[in-house]
Amino acid sequence: MGKTILCACEDVTLSEVRRAFARGHRDLESVKRYTGFGTGPCQGKSCLAAVVQELLRLGATPAEINPFTPRPPAQPVDFGTLAGIDPDTLPLDEGVPVPPTPRPPVPASSGPVPERASVVIVGGGILGLSLAHQLALRGVTDVLVLERSYLNAGASGRNGGGVRAQWSTPTMVRLGLRSLQLFRSFAGETGVNVWFRRGGYLFLAPDGAQVERLERNHAVQRQQGMRTRIVSPDEACTIVPELDRSRFVAASWNPDDGVVFPWPFLWGYAAAAQARGVTVRTFTPVSGIEVSGGLVRSVLTPHGRVRCDTLVNACGAWSPEVARLAGVALPNRPTRHEILVSGPLKPWLGPLVSNLGNGLYFSQSQRGEIVGGMGDPTEPAGISHGSTLRFLSRFSRAITELVPGTAGVPVMRQWAGNYDVTPDNNPILGPAGPANFFQLSGFVGHGFMMAPAVTEIVADALTGRARDEILDRFSLDRFERGPAVREDFIIG
Amino acid sequence: MGPPMARLPDPRFATDCTVHLDGRAVPARTGESVASALLAAGERVLSRSAKYHRPRGPFCLSGSCGSCLVRIDGEPNRRACRTPCRDGMRVETQNGWPDAVHDLLGVIDRLTPGGLDVHHMLTRPRLANEALVAFTRRLAGSGRMPDRASPRGPAASHETFDALVLGAGPAGLSAAEVLAGAGVRLLLVERDRIPGGRLRAGLEPDAAPDGWPAEVARAVLSSGGEVALATSATSLWHDGGAPVCLLVGEEPRRTRVVRAPRILVCTGGHARPPTFEGNDLPGIHSGRALALALAEHGVLPGRRVAVLGTGPEPEALLARFAAAGLQATAVTTPVARARGRGAVRSLDLADGGRVPCDVVAQGAPPTPAPDLLRALGVGVDWDPALEAFTPRVLRDGATGIAGLYAAGEVARPGTAAEAVSWGRRAGEAARG
Ligand SMILES: Cc1cc2nc3c(=O)[nH]c(=O)nc-3n(C[C@H](O)[C@H](O)[C@H](O)COP(=O)(O)OP(=O)(O)OC[C@H]3O[C@@H](n4cnc5c(N)ncnc54)[C@H](O)[C@@H]3O)c2cc1C
Repeated sequence: MGKTILCACEDVTLSEVRRAFARGHRDLESVKRYTGFGTGPCQGKSCLAAVVQELLRLGATPAEINPFTPRPPAQPVDFGTLAGIDPDTLPLDEGVPVPPTPRPPVPASSGPVPERASVVIVGGGILGLSLAHQLALRGVTDVLVLERSYLNAGASGRNGGGVRAQWSTPTMVRLGLRSLQLFRSFAGETGVNVWFRRGGYLFLAPDGAQVERLERNHAVQRQQGMRTRIVSPDEACTIVPELDRSRFVAASWNPDDGVVFPWPFLWGYAAAAQARGVTVRTFTPVSGIEVSGGLVRSVLTPHGRVRCDTLVNACGAWSPEVARLAGVALPNRPTRHEILVSGPLKPWLGPLVSNLGNGLYFSQSQRGEIVGGMGDPTEPAGISHGSTLRFLSRFSRAITELVPGTAGVPVMRQWAGNYDVTPDNNPILGPAGPANFFQLSGFVGHGFMMAPAVTEIVADALTGRARDEILDRFSLDRFERGPAVREDFIIG
Repeated sequence: MGPPMARLPDPRFATDCTVHLDGRAVPARTGESVASALLAAGERVLSRSAKYHRPRGPFCLSGSCGSCLVRIDGEPNRRACRTPCRDGMRVETQNGWPDAVHDLLGVIDRLTPGGLDVHHMLTRPRLANEALVAFTRRLAGSGRMPDRASPRGPAASHETFDALVLGAGPAGLSAAEVLAGAGVRLLLVERDRIPGGRLRAGLEPDAAPDGWPAEVARAVLSSGGEVALATSATSLWHDGGAPVCLLVGEEPRRTRVVRAPRILVCTGGHARPPTFEGNDLPGIHSGRALALALAEHGVLPGRRVAVLGTGPEPEALLARFAAAGLQATAVTTPVARARGRGAVRSLDLADGGRVPCDVVAQGAPPTPAPDLLRALGVGVDWDPALEAFTPRVLRDGATGIAGLYAAGEVARPGTAAEAVSWGRRAGEAARG
């Protein structure tokens, strides 16, 4: 039997689409992420109809074949061309795509909800799902994860996949190191590949003030046993020869940091937790929370009410919305963060490179794309998922300046997610309002790399095994106790 | 290797320059696409595919698919079908070892008849998994990073027009004609160097008179507008709360950020690949694109052409290929598989028949291309008869989004004559 190729860019066969569907990836956004179809240079132009025809034959519903969100640019454009646009001429706005009216129908819930569950986790991002997995490992399997959309719809499916232990405080370094360990063992443990590649992180300091910052962090990291070194521009250029060495004065290099492919973590955690008895329901939003006597009693979904003993809010940028359903105010301020990928290139870039001067960061994915982002100081708070030309021009100016060779590389796709920003850039952990309403949010732009370590600790706390200091350090009432210690080593 | 392709022996199609493919000299015509010159030279394999290292060559020849990416003058992932030939141009195949034609890694395809399950393979033990990650990273990606820095693009200009018409095919031309006639100062954008779109393939000679595209261009100029040829409308964004289009011109290199209160999207559809076993073999192409290469550059796509599909367009293709001296066979029943190594050699039909051929022309209509329209909020519906998503565009070209219009095959496949009248209605609606 030869192959029928439905997506020629990513080499996705007819049988791969069938396998994805059989495994429960039924809607187009999920099939796209699971098979990779539509993510290559043609961006789905020549394969979308063929995949939909097949999904319909397999029994997909009309709502399940809503076409995936179109991502600019519709035709590839070089970084060098985009760098010719002055971003100041392009005021920031909501971006594209503008959602259509009426909104397309949403697929049906992936199954019925039970009448009760010991632990209900709202939000099927990396934090919610890894917590479910950690609870299951501890024998707590009466757990229900409720996700409003498909897995990977939130920041966990939109991030850059950078994972590091180069942080500025002993606590964050410890969590980063533990997560790196868990990333390494993930494939073996769950049987799902996540393409963890230890290529290191290279932080570039363009001036003396940034060098001092790197040196302070370096001391903290060495104390924790890390191999971080401060290196000269010449040495940095032996690690990434394409860098323009005149653009920075020193760099901080840890060869043990790395990058992952984010999407499979969510299926991997979900499958591992479900294999132990946890229930995961996609396309099932929580629309209300019932509180009485100082406790959450149940959550409301379109498919019924679920009673619970503990409710965990793991909704990332949407956590304040969900907390409000229980009358709880969280200080999180969601803020859009844009990101892009180039077309696939042969391996040339080992580490994730971050320029502390302007927030530019980029790495090379397992498939060879340059993946990168750059925060925008003019970005207002508020959830937004639109893409802007302004971002393309800002990013392209920054990357072509630092890596002049990228001028002739075409950009393939851009998109956006939301950082879940807190006043001190640290997460919010522990109960807030009702005593059994547990918060697991506020991971800014580094929740992916924190999730494995943090959820281990949270699972220990929820099962009464151990209580780590981060539960006090990162509790909501820290903001009332006095000035909180701000994490300043945030990128993007 | 496939049979040598060639050009019609007509002095109009004489080659006048040379491009180099992996060091081999290929005669070409200045300004024709690299893909067209390579097809005429019988060079069909331009890269190897991402996972299975299957041979890849141009399919759509019109910028819709991603199958013709090559390295050109040291820059990776260039589309051979969108890059005009220049004398001395260096073209390199991608992702083959040692090159795309002789790729030794093609063995991956043969060893994995049922495909690979990349998510679950070799996850343990850890050493095996780490070796897998290291190995697949080396195989991944297609183009190599540029060897040197190319200059940054020119500073972008910011411009405003009364109307922006994207695409100078039958729909865009007739919309532009109406607007220009009403004195609207418009910018008509065409990614090719010659206006006309599908009319240039000559498959529907009655759809419009010969000199019409040039006439429309003159009308646009005389109403104070501009025609931008060899200029690609890369996408529509919404920066600053209003639609904005980024135009990239090839020769001269030019970057333009354009705003207009009326935008008419007439950029045509996407060629639709067939879906049978072996459907990605080099030698299988969009029929309309083959007809265009034949009409403009005398490219003979092969000796024996199998034309897929029924209806006026496949019939016109058959007639066109036969007139050029090729043996053309109509394939009107379902195809089970394409056979061949490195290039198509025959088609097995579902009814047991077999069609020997060295090129396959896809005659099925293109799928609509709602990408640009969706950016600004136009919804789409699955059309079971067309087996494609169609954007919500009315008969008069309105989209429900203020100032945004569409006409022609970007919205729905049809004849060129239908596109002409749809474009006219859209022009009238936009004129107000
Ligand atoms: C562009 C970008 C790049 C980033 N790069 C990195 C990086 O390199 N490394 C890193 O570690 N981190 C990175 N981050 C941050 C990281 O992605 C996030 O911190 C992390 O994914 C947060 O996970 P989460 O589970 O809290 O949130 P999410 O993944 O957003 O999950 C929350 C889920 O809750 C669901 N939800 C919301 N409301 C409801 C409701 N009412 N009912 C049910 N479900 C609901 C949402 O649909 C969503 O799926 C990046 C973020 C962005 C946006």
